[in-house]
Amino acid sequence: MRNNIPHDLAEKAAAMREFGRLRAAGLPVPAEVRARHLWATNDGYATGPDPGERIPDFALPDQFGIIRTLNNLAGSNGLLLVFHRSADW
Amino acid sequence: MLEKNGVHIAAISYDSPEILAAFAQKHAIEFPLLSDKASETIRAFGIFNFNMAPDLRSYGVPHPVEFLVGPDGTVVKKYFVPNYQHRVTGSAVALHEFGTISSDAPVVALESGALTVQIGFPSPKAFAGQEVGFFARFIVKDGWHIYGSSVPANYAATSVTFDGPDVVSQRFELPTAEMLNLPALGETLPVYSGSFQGIGSLVLKHPLPEGKLVLPGHLRFQQCSNTVCEPPQTFPFELALNLEPFVVSERDLARTSKSQAGRQRP
Repeated sequence: MRNNIPHDLAEKAAAMREFGRLRAAGLPVPAEVRARHLWATNDGYATGPDPGERIPDFALPDQFGIIRTLNNLAGSNGLLLVFHRSADW
Repeated sequence: MLEKNGVHIAAISYDSPEILAAFAQKHAIEFPLLSDKASETIRAFGIFNFNMAPDLRSYGVPHPVEFLVGPDGTVVKKYFVPNYQHRVTGSAVALHEFGTISSDAPVVALESGALTVQIGFPSPKAFAGQEVGFFARFIVKDGWHIYGSSVPANYAATSVTFDGPDVVSQRFELPTAEMLNLPALGETLPVYSGSFQGIGSLVLKHPLPEGKLVLPGHLRFQQCSNTVCEPPQTFPFELALNLEPFVVSERDLARTSKSQAGRQRP
């Protein structure tokens, strides 16, 4: 697990903003801008527990405010847990 | 398709329960959307994205990982595509883990005499940019075989390949081949006989227009019996997917229409 903050955050933010600006304006995104954006967002990526390892316990509210855990989410064969960016943007 | 196999689905993001409620209602989402407001669970999983500066709205997001977890909390499989716009489809997970195929799945059948092959997608629905699973079911007539990979140059290994500009990347895997010793030729070659299935996946280009997408592809193989070896053959095929419209957030829509009206953001 990585917990260090990279020093190049400003450069990465600039790459993300440039990509976002072109996309929002409906303009074509040059391959170079796309590649820099991918680097900026994925640099040093981590993917968490591997097959065979246990996931950490969690207890989080769902869209109805009900607290959900693995126990009350999983079906008889388990759970597909999808981590995503945001439902807001 | 996952539900049918006893696997439930839940999604996690850093949004508040109120935002998730509005999103679920708008898009008629029935599975639980979990709110990890302070990204604590995202950090506990070790997938916090440290590339985001604290003043960005994306500060706090995870790396886009999907975990297939057993009822006891053990990871069975995880899926990660290092571009958040590419996601693995639920049907691809169902295909790889459970061999499930929906009744309206697009499938083509190819026949060569000694060989019958069905190639298809487990579901007709997909999004541009997604990783989509596909399968190829082979039935080889008794007394015949086709070849696995790592054959000498004068033989053709069995492969299924999608062509054209709409597929960004792809892979296709067959089970382990049987080693067949051919004393007359002084060779031992990897072969397949009987019936077996290969499974693959492809990543669709993004963006692509919504609606019907026809993907051309080709099957390559060489069929041989103990007495005859036919030349390598290539069979072209086409399979269609229905691309669903992309979900665009209100904020992106508002920004797009603003900039189209000529008002650039600072």
